[in-house]
Amino acid sequence: MGVKSIATLLLLGLAMFALASRAAAQADDMAVVVSSGNPATTISLVDLRKIFAGAKRSWPGGQPIKLITRGPGCVERFALLRLLAMSESEYKQYWTAQVFRGDADSEPLTVPSVGMQVEALKIFPGGISLVDVRDVKPGMKVIKVDGRQPGGAGYPVH
Amino acid sequence: MARRIRTRFRCALLALLLVPASRAQDAGARPTDHEQEIVSHLIEQIKQLQQQEHDLQERIKILEAKQAQASPAGEVALASPAATQQRTEPPASPPMPTELPRDWHEVGGVQFRGFGEVDYQALDQRKPELGTGGFVPGSAGNFYTDDFGLFLTARLTNKASVLAEIIFEEGNAQSYTVDLRRMLLKYDYNDHLKVSFGRYQTNIGYYNWAFRSAAWLQTTADRPLVMQYASKGGLLPTQAVGLSVTGAVPSGKWGLNYVAEYGSSDTTRPDLNGDGFVTDENNGNHVNVGLFLRPDVAPGLQIGSSYYHDQISNNILYASGAQVPPPPGSLGPSARYGQAIVNGYVVYVAHGIEFLNEGFLIRQTLIGGSLHFDMPAFYSQLSKQLGPLRPFVRYQYVNANVNPNSILDDVGLRFGPSFGARYDFKQYMAFTAQLDHTVRGGQADLNGLQLQWAFTF
Repeated sequence: MGVKSIATLLLLGLAMFALASRAAAQADDMAVVVSSGNPATTISLVDLRKIFAGAKRSWPGGQPIKLITRGPGCVERFALLRLLAMSESEYKQYWTAQVFRGDADSEPLTVPSVGMQVEALKIFPGGISLVDVRDVKPGMKVIKVDGRQPGGAGYPVH
Repeated sequence: MARRIRTRFRCALLALLLVPASRAQDAGARPTDHEQEIVSHLIEQIKQLQQQEHDLQERIKILEAKQAQASPAGEVALASPAATQQRTEPPASPPMPTELPRDWHEVGGVQFRGFGEVDYQALDQRKPELGTGGFVPGSAGNFYTDDFGLFLTARLTNKASVLAEIIFEEGNAQSYTVDLRRMLLKYDYNDHLKVSFGRYQTNIGYYNWAFRSAAWLQTTADRPLVMQYASKGGLLPTQAVGLSVTGAVPSGKWGLNYVAEYGSSDTTRPDLNGDGFVTDENNGNHVNVGLFLRPDVAPGLQIGSSYYHDQISNNILYASGAQVPPPPGSLGPSARYGQAIVNGYVVYVAHGIEFLNEGFLIRQTLIGGSLHFDMPAFYSQLSKQLGPLRPFVRYQYVNANVNPNSILDDVGLRFGPSFGARYDFKQYMAFTAQLDHTVRGGQADLNGLQLQWAFTF
């Protein structure tokens, strides 16, 4: 086997590795979903953080935001904790403090399944949630983050 | 529907294959008329199902074409193949209602929470000072329970809600008093306008906003003296009844917010020095305005300032409520003072770090005279989360004027450090150990140990 062949094989291997990494990254993307009646089409990452931290509590039209989250152990939960740069216990303590301060009426609604996320988004017109891009269902409207869509290059929510 | 038809089609096909197969075991046996009838019937059913499926596919194509024309321009088309596949599913749900079909109160109900604490404090007081929360003044050390609170919230409408905080506070000899520490009717119009009516904690500074009654919320075992509740000898009018408005000011990345309050902060505060008197300040209506920044570039950083103003009297009473004769040279209870409290703070709470710095200037000016007292105070607190452990250090300083005409003459000069650690058992229970050293003007220093189990549920 000549040097050219080895180099070609190496290049092919690298290309395949890059493609596989890209595909894996895309698979880890978390779509930001809202109720289908919500007029929002895009959101900044900063605003997304503020929303999930309870610092921003209404949509531009005045509709109250309802946070819908998945329970501990889910990939969506890990993505949420990464977004807020908190551990699970910090997150729980943070929300308990938010409620005691009167800044929130209750902790975010936690649901155990994607199906219930869909149902919650139907019940709460101001609902917002994170969902694994592979689990996006009809009734969920995916909005862009910083102008990028899940699965695309540079999408910031994983 | 299409999936169901497909399933039925497969079942029919399977049956069609199985019936001749089972009969093939009877070698050479010819199908009976009855069997031929069944086969014909199944073939007919298959043809019907195939036609139905074909019709449905056509209808789906028409609906998809219509939806593509009618869909809003901004709706995001997913890039991933999996998500694209999801989007080819037929639309199953009807258009979203703009209003909830149910009453919000029914949806949310009453949210109920509680908090409490059990404390042990040892303090080397030679001359007993004010004891609050169940701590016995002058004792070498005793257990007490301080505040036990019930916290209720409920949504009334889409934007209106109610909040109540009911405190059972330990007093002398295991007696308990009930205090409605907060009771608010809230209306959040949007992020820029949030209105509350009722009894609230004044937004003087950061601490009174960030750390409500629950000891569990705090890193330290107690509040800094300047931020202590007035009913426990604190210097400031920490609570009021009236109107509070807050919200965000459109300011881009600066994250500017405002707060404005107007109400009655009438306060009766017990003297700290243990003389047994209480001062009924007869506060007039107060105005409190403040601004604070939460810049996007530094999440966790908050910088703010507030200005508070009201009028007060130096009306000293016995614990029974009877008037204490004014000391010689004192202006007595009829004199009114304008009270202005200026606050500035810089806090950083993120990445497990808590760094709180607040300064106050309390100015009490005799109305119609030149007499005035300027009383500075500050505290600084630093802590870091290390797993379940959070060691902390705090330094506080209060310099209240000891002139008998000063309403805070019982406080005088007090400063010193505190340090300790908080250990979190799971999320809702914490143990805190704290050592305090307090230097007092004209009196012996105080050394104390506080142990606290705080919890919420």
